[in-house]
Amino acid sequence: MGQRRNCWMSGFDEVTPFPPQLVPKKWHTHGRSAVVVLLFCVAIVLPACSGIKTYNSSLNKNLHVRTVTDSGSGFSRIRAAVDIHRVGEQCTIEYEGTVQLTDPTIEIGIPPDRWSHLVFVFASSSFLANRTGTITYETMIKPRPNYRYDVEVSYKNSMYHVAIRETPPNRSTSRELDRMALGPCHSPTAKK
Amino acid sequence: MKLYYVVIIVLNLLALFGCISHPQTAEEFRKAVPGALSAKVEMFEVDRSFSQVANTFQKMGPNCLSKTIKTTSQTNKSYQVIVTTYKPTIVVTGKKAELHVQFHHDQGVINVSKEPVGGYYLLVADAQPLSPTKTRIDLYRPSMGHGVLVQAVKNWANGEIVGCPDLTK
Repeated sequence: MGQRRNCWMSGFDEVTPFPPQLVPKKWHTHGRSAVVVLLFCVAIVLPACSGIKTYNSSLNKNLHVRTVTDSGSGFSRIRAAVDIHRVGEQCTIEYEGTVQLTDPTIEIGIPPDRWSHLVFVFASSSFLANRTGTITYETMIKPRPNYRYDVEVSYKNSMYHVAIRETPPNRSTSRELDRMALGPCHSPTAKK
Repeated sequence: MKLYYVVIIVLNLLALFGCISHPQTAEEFRKAVPGALSAKVEMFEVDRSFSQVANTFQKMGPNCLSKTIKTTSQTNKSYQVIVTTYKPTIVVTGKKAELHVQFHHDQGVINVSKEPVGGYYLLVADAQPLSPTKTRIDLYRPSMGHGVLVQAVKNWANGEIVGCPDLTK
C-alpha cells in the first residue's frame, strides 16, 4: 500500500494518491472552497435540470389549498403537488411552475380573468416494493377578480379527491366548480 | 440443444396464442367472467334511484378513469417501467347504465393475445332499476388485484363518493 495509506482524499485504494507532503497547504483551503462552490452550483443546477420550477406569484392569494394525505402505511409515502399552467390563445399550454402541497394549508395566487390549467399530482412510493407511481387530476380554472377559491385535496385509502369551491367577495355561500378537462378547451363554447 | 429450446419456445407460444383469448366486447366479457379464475360476478342493491347511479357513473367514470398511469418498480436485478392507459365507457339507456373499464399497456408489457379496440376489458358494472328508490348493480370485476378500482365503483354506486381510485395501486 505504501503512501496510499496516507491518501487524504479517500479511503479507496483505487483513488490516485496525493502524498500530503507534495500538496501545498493553500491547496487544502482552496480545495475545500472549490468543493463547496461546486456543491453549491450542483444544488442550483440540478433542480433546474429536473424541469420543475417553483411557482411564484405576487398576485393576491385567491386559491386556498387544504391538503390531507395518508399513505396508509409506514412503508409508503404520498407526495402531493400542483402544477400550474397558463392556458393561452388556441388553448396552448405553458408551464408556469409547481407548488408542493407539503403544508396542510397553502395559499396561491392565480391570475384572475384568465384560464389556468391545474394539475394535481399524487406521487406514491413504496419502500419495501421499491415501486413508484404517479396519478394526476387535471382541471381548468378562470378565477374571477376578488373571488375566493377553496381547494380540498385529499388522499386516503388509495383514493384521491380534489374539490374546488368558489366564494364571491363578502359572501359566505359558495358553489362547487365542476371539473373542466383540457379536451373541451378546443371547443369554441368552452372558453367563455 | 439450441433446436430443443426453439421447439419448446414455439410450442409455448402456440399454446399461449391458442389457449388465451380475451373477450373482445363487453358482452363477451360478461359471459366469460363467471368461468374465469381471476374474475368474478358480484351483485348487490343500492338505496338510490337508477338516475342517481347513472349520473354518478357519467360524472365519475370519465373524471377518474380516463387516465394514463406510469409505474416504475426496481429490484437488484431489474428495472421495470409500465405505462397503462385506462378507458372508461358509459352507456346509458332507459333501463340500464353500463360502465366499462378497459386498459391498454403503452409500454412495458407484451401482449400475447388479440386486444380489443380500446384495450382489454377490466371491469363492467351494470345498473338496472328495481324500484324508484332501489337499483341493482351487477359487477363483473377482477377477483385478484385492482381492489381500489372495484371499491371506487361500489362507492359511486352506493353514493359514498369518496373520490377517485389511485390506479397505480
